[in-house]
Amino acid sequence: MDITDTQEQTQNIEPTPPMTREASVNFSGDAQEFFGIWIVNLLLTIVTFGIYSAWAKVRTQQYFYGNTSIEGHAFSYLAQPLQILKGRILAVILFAVYSLTLQFAPLVGIGIFIVMLFLIPWILNQSLRFNLRMSSYRNVRFSFKGNYGDAFVYWILLPIASIFTMYLMMPWAMKKGDEYVYNNISYGDKALETKIDTGQYYETILWIFLVCIGLMFGVVAIAFILGGMGSLMDFQNTDSSGMGVGIIVSIVTGVFYVFSISILSAIYRARIRNHILNNSEFDGLATFKSKVEVTPFAILMFTNIVALIFTAGLAYPWMKVRTARFLAQATTVVINNDSDDVLDAMSESQSAFGEEAAEVFDIDIALT
Amino acid sequence: MMQTIAGQYYYPKSSKSECAQLVISEDSVSLLLEEQSGVVTSGADIQWRATIPGVALEADFIDGGKFIATDRHERLHQRRSRLETFEKNMPLIVASVFLVPFLMWFILAVAMPKLAEESVAFIPQSVPNQMGEQSFKIIEELFLSPSELDVEKQEAVKAQWKSALTQLSLPTEHFKLHVYDSEYFGPNAFALPNGTVVITDDLINKLDGNPDAILAVLLHEIGHVELKHSLRIVAQSISNTLAIAVVFGDVEGMGEAILGTGSSLILNAFSRDMESEADDYALAKLVMLGKSPTAFSDAMKVFLALKSEHEQGDLLKYLSSHPEIKERIKKAEEFGL
Repeated sequence: MDITDTQEQTQNIEPTPPMTREASVNFSGDAQEFFGIWIVNLLLTIVTFGIYSAWAKVRTQQYFYGNTSIEGHAFSYLAQPLQILKGRILAVILFAVYSLTLQFAPLVGIGIFIVMLFLIPWILNQSLRFNLRMSSYRNVRFSFKGNYGDAFVYWILLPIASIFTMYLMMPWAMKKGDEYVYNNISYGDKALETKIDTGQYYETILWIFLVCIGLMFGVVAIAFILGGMGSLMDFQNTDSSGMGVGIIVSIVTGVFYVFSISILSAIYRARIRNHILNNSEFDGLATFKSKVEVTPFAILMFTNIVALIFTAGLAYPWMKVRTARFLAQATTVVINNDSDDVLDAMSESQSAFGEEAAEVFDIDIALT
Repeated sequence: MMQTIAGQYYYPKSSKSECAQLVISEDSVSLLLEEQSGVVTSGADIQWRATIPGVALEADFIDGGKFIATDRHERLHQRRSRLETFEKNMPLIVASVFLVPFLMWFILAVAMPKLAEESVAFIPQSVPNQMGEQSFKIIEELFLSPSELDVEKQEAVKAQWKSALTQLSLPTEHFKLHVYDSEYFGPNAFALPNGTVVITDDLINKLDGNPDAILAVLLHEIGHVELKHSLRIVAQSISNTLAIAVVFGDVEGMGEAILGTGSSLILNAFSRDMESEADDYALAKLVMLGKSPTAFSDAMKVFLALKSEHEQGDLLKYLSSHPEIKERIKKAEEFGL
C-alpha cells in the first residue's frame, strides 16, 4: 500500500513552478530634474548659512531612494531634516574642536588624534545604523546591528596591523571589514548573510598591481613622445615654446592621472561589489546578481570626471544620476516565491549624530 | 473637490501590499482597497511626506500603514509644496547657476578672510605662544639639525637682528632667532606665531657678504608674526573647510577633489596676499633702519636663481602660495621712488 501510494504521488507531480523569480533594479531618476533640485537646494543652503543643508540632504536622498524600485515598489528614505540638522551641528562642533586643537596645540592634537581613533568605530557604526534604519522598502525597514568591539577590530586594529606587514595583510583586512558590515545588515526580520572569499580580494589587488605596472609603461611612452615633441619645438622657435610644451605636458599628465584613477577604482569597485552581492542572501527571501563590468564602469567614471572638470562641477547631478542608473542596471534580485511577508522588526528612534559626524570627517562608508 | 489617486497600500509593519486608491476630499481621506473597501480616516491620521520633483506622492497612516502613488508626477490639488515649485522654477534654476558660484566665491574669498582678520584680534597671546612652542618642538625634531656654521658667523647674524629689534622698538624677549642646518628646508627662513624665527645655514651661506639682505629676509618673517598671519590662515582654512562641508555635504569621489582644488586656490591667493603684506612690512622697516630696500631684492634674486630651473608661467601663478619673485624684486626696487 505504502509503496503504491508513493509511486502514484511521484507520477502525478506536475512540472514544478520555478521557486524563484528574477527582478531587475530600476532607476527612474532624470539628470535635468535632479539638477534643479540640487542647484536650488545649494542656493537655499548658502542663503540660510548652512541650516537648510539638512533639508537639502533629505530631499536628495529621497529623490534617489524614491526613484529606485524593484518590481514596481520604490525605496523610501525616512530621516527627518531636524534629525540631520542636530547631527550636523554636533559634527561641526566636533570638527572645529579637533582642528583647532590640532592647529593651536599640536602636541595636544596628537592626543586628540588617538581619542579620534577610538571614536571613529562608534561614529561609523552610528552612521550605518542610522542610514539603514532610515531606509525602507515595501514599508519594511533595514537595520544594522554591528557592535563597537568588532568595529574597532575591523576598522582600526586590522588596518593598523597590516601596515606592519608591509600591507600584505591589507586585502584580508578589507575583506574582514566588508564581512563585518554586510553580515550585520537585516531587512525587517530577515538577516543578510554574506559569505565572501579572501582570495577574491587578493586577486583584485593583484590585478590592480599589474595594471599599475602597465600604466607605468604608459607614462614612460608618453614622456618619450612629449620629450620628442619638446625638442622639435625648441628647434623651431627658441623662446615661447617652453610655456606651450609645459601646458601640453600638464594637460597630458592630468588626463593620464584621471584615466589611471578611473581604471584602478573601477577594477576594485566592480569586482568587489560583484563578489559581495553575488554571495549575499537575505535569509530565505532573496539573493542578488551583480554584473558590473570593469571597462564600461571605468569609462563611466572617466567621463564623469572629465564632465565635472569641464563644467566646473555643474555636471555633478548628471554624474550622480547616470552612476545610479548604471549600478541599478547591473543588479538583479532573485526573490524566493515561497517566502512569507517580511515583518518590520523595529520602531524606536535614535540620534542622527553618528551619521553626520562621519560626513564632515569624510569617512562615510558607501554601501554601493 | 474630490481627488482620486491610484497607488499601492502597504500594511503596517509588513511587506504585504495591494493596489489601492486614495480618495481625498475637503475633510477626509478614504482608502479604497480591493478586499475591504472604504477605510475612512480623518485628515489628521494621515501624514503626507514633503514632495520632491519626480518622486511619487507618499503618505504615512497613523497605524504604520503606507501609501505610495503609482504616477510619480501626480500631486495633491489641495496642497502644493513651495519647495517643489522652487526646484522646478526655470528662472530660479538659471539664477542659481550663477548665484551659487558667486556666493561661494564671496564667502570663501572675501567674507571669511575679513572675518579671520577681525577675529584674530580677540585671540589671547597665550594661544599663538602655545601654538609656536609646540610646532617648534615638532619641526625641530623632524626637520632641523644643529647649525654647522662658524659661531662667529651665527653671532654676527644674531647681533644684527638684536640691534634691528632695538632700533625698531620691538620686544627682544618676544622675538628669538635660531640658526639651524636643514636638508628639508634648504636655503630658507620661517617664523612661528610665538615670535620664533628660524634661518637655515644654506640661506646664510647664499647671502654671505650681504648682511642687509639677511636682515631683509628676517624682517619679512617678523612681518608674518606681527601681522598674525599664521592665526589668520588657520582661522581661514578651518572655516573654509567647514563652509564647504556644510554647503556641499557628502560630495562623492572626484567632486570632492574639484572642491578641494577650488578651496586650495583660494587659500593660495590668501597666502600670496599675506606674503605681499610681509614684503611691504619688511621694505618699510628697512627704510626705517636707514637701509636700502634693494637689500630685499638682493635676497629675492637668490630665490629666483634657485627657482629658474622650473620657471613659472602666467597660468601656474594661481597654483603658487607665494607671489612671483620677479614681481617682488620689482616692488622692492621701485619702493619709495
